[in-house]
Amino acid sequence: MNLRRVAVLLYKELRGPKNFIFIMAVVVPVALTLVISLLFGTFLSERPRLGIVDRGRSDLPARAAALESIQARTLDDDRALRAEVARGALDMGLVLPADFDARVAAGEPTELTVFVWGESLLRSRAILGTALLTLIRELAGRQPPVEVVTTLVGEAQSLPWEQRLLPFVVLMSLMLGGLMVPATSLVEEKQHHTLRAVTTTAATLGEVLAAKGLLGVVLSTFMAAVTLFLNRALGAQPALLVGTLAMGATLAAGVGLLLGVLVRDINSLFATIKSLGIFLYAPALVYMFPEIPAWIGRLFPTYYLIQPVIDIVQHGAGPAEVLPDLLILAGLIAALLAVVGLAGRRAMQRAG
Amino acid sequence: MNPSVLLVLLRKDLRLFFANRFFALVTGLALAAYVGMYYLLPAAVDETLEIGWVNPGLPARFADELEGEGVILHSYADAAALRAAVAAGEVPAGVAFPPGLMAALAAGARPTVEIFLAGDVPEELRQVYPLMVEEWVSLAVGRPIQIEAAEQVLGVDRTGQPVPPRDRMLPLFAVFVLFIETLGLASLIAAEVAGGTLRALLVTPLRVEGLFVSKAVLGVGLAFTQSTLLMALTGGLRHGAPQILTALLFGSLLVTGVAFLLASASKDLMSVMSWGVLAMLLLSIPALNVLLPGLVSGWVRALPSYPLVEAVHQVVNYQYGWSQIGGLLLALAGYAAAFLALGVVVLRRRFQ
Repeated sequence: MNLRRVAVLLYKELRGPKNFIFIMAVVVPVALTLVISLLFGTFLSERPRLGIVDRGRSDLPARAAALESIQARTLDDDRALRAEVARGALDMGLVLPADFDARVAAGEPTELTVFVWGESLLRSRAILGTALLTLIRELAGRQPPVEVVTTLVGEAQSLPWEQRLLPFVVLMSLMLGGLMVPATSLVEEKQHHTLRAVTTTAATLGEVLAAKGLLGVVLSTFMAAVTLFLNRALGAQPALLVGTLAMGATLAAGVGLLLGVLVRDINSLFATIKSLGIFLYAPALVYMFPEIPAWIGRLFPTYYLIQPVIDIVQHGAGPAEVLPDLLILAGLIAALLAVVGLAGRRAMQRAG
Repeated sequence: MNPSVLLVLLRKDLRLFFANRFFALVTGLALAAYVGMYYLLPAAVDETLEIGWVNPGLPARFADELEGEGVILHSYADAAALRAAVAAGEVPAGVAFPPGLMAALAAGARPTVEIFLAGDVPEELRQVYPLMVEEWVSLAVGRPIQIEAAEQVLGVDRTGQPVPPRDRMLPLFAVFVLFIETLGLASLIAAEVAGGTLRALLVTPLRVEGLFVSKAVLGVGLAFTQSTLLMALTGGLRHGAPQILTALLFGSLLVTGVAFLLASASKDLMSVMSWGVLAMLLLSIPALNVLLPGLVSGWVRALPSYPLVEAVHQVVNYQYGWSQIGGLLLALAGYAAAFLALGVVVLRRRFQ
């Protein structure tokens, strides 16, 4: 294998026209990260949403915004508040009269206008009602009648959905760039007969495969790192992380090259990838639902690609901790590349 | 147009459609996956807060009042039993009031209340329990706040009957199912345009109108059959079947128009996918707004899939009739006619 020719072919891949999958490999991880943080930061959060219109200068909106158990924001007028509640953007809307704080402090009866979204859950209404009463009691200068001490018990841990979904997003970044890009590029070249044209020059099929595989490895390693950066999950061992991502990307690129060599047309390729989907993404499902026994994830090869990454970024693991999984991953990569080489040679022999 | 010619064309197109391995696989797989996902999702929403408590003397009516507000109380003999129950996951939270609570409060003391929280209670909810306990005790000792709330419920009041997530997902599934057929039809037409077979057909006695009618019948037939099957298998036709079927029929016409537009802008599966994914994302936004109310604002109403999604949602989840969704169906019919006409004009220009 001539490294200079591989570099020339890789340069051609980078400079040449980009297909839809290449664009997807760049856009999807970023878009997915943004969507997940938007959804789980606000819309899928269990915190009920409160809107407040303050006709005076009450302290209540600032106090409500400081509470962690609810999401509170202020609006300019009753009409906007009403519209936001009616469309379900808020569970409850509250209109505070001009002299609200003074009346509460004086213990005078005070009337509040409250809009409630009809589909708001009972639990959300209860939480908001409690939070509001507590805040009003504080405004009135009344001390709670009891002292409350909270203790966490049991071994269960709260795992936010952003964290549960991170393995899926990272896996998708690695698969789109590492698997899909080399596979579609190879199949498209086969369909357009440009692969044969290239291999009639001095370049060998092995060099073409190496260039396409390298493109997938570089792209998916970069996009997986970008995804982790956007999720503020780079961990404390950047070199180990990048090395692990590159190994994962190599495994993905190996699968992509194998599919690219074996599959004849783009329709069959998409059908095959679709069928393989559950097999490739199964470990991510295990992370999403902690009720599924963790050992099930170990049955899938992509587990050894994603587990070390998650260990590094979420559990602060070092080289010693991730070494066993990385050794298995290295074994899988070696076996896969041997199969790709074999399949490539057979394809060349068939082509004549 | 001669019905026998139409039948021949339909048979040919159906054969070609299912000869494409990707769409043949996806057609069956997607339907099975959506139906499976529907049944895997919870059939009901748990809108209550379950709390264990050790009650040394709060009035019995208290528990009844709280249950009306979505709080379910489970009694335990003492703090140790309560702590064990929380640790074992019987209840997510426990409140242990100290013995002699009421007497201590009457004497002006500020007793301590213990709260036990399971470790998997989300962080944002942990603050709620102390606030609730403080409010309960304030009410029990007769220190109410002088607030009169004028409450207005906006939108459909679903108190005690929230729409389960799986029923909120149905419009999204329907859009996806309709659209996957669109991609298949667009790919089929694009391949025929690129291969010149459409033009070749016009050498026969077949007229252009006949060609479009056959493609439209194929597109509408595939999309309508799939979406109807989805709704039937998920129980979506239990209420208002005529309204749902009308909405799906207009929706099928709409996506067939979109398929013509996609086909006119594409030359192969890859370009159909690239344009198609963009169109699919846009058309899915109204369904996401049903799933996560308040996600997007008023502009979502301008999207052609909005009346389809809203009609399906309102009939399935609110049991609305013709009078309530008539306007939506009219708008949908208008969009369908416009897109179909536009699709025919643009596609005709492309291949003639």
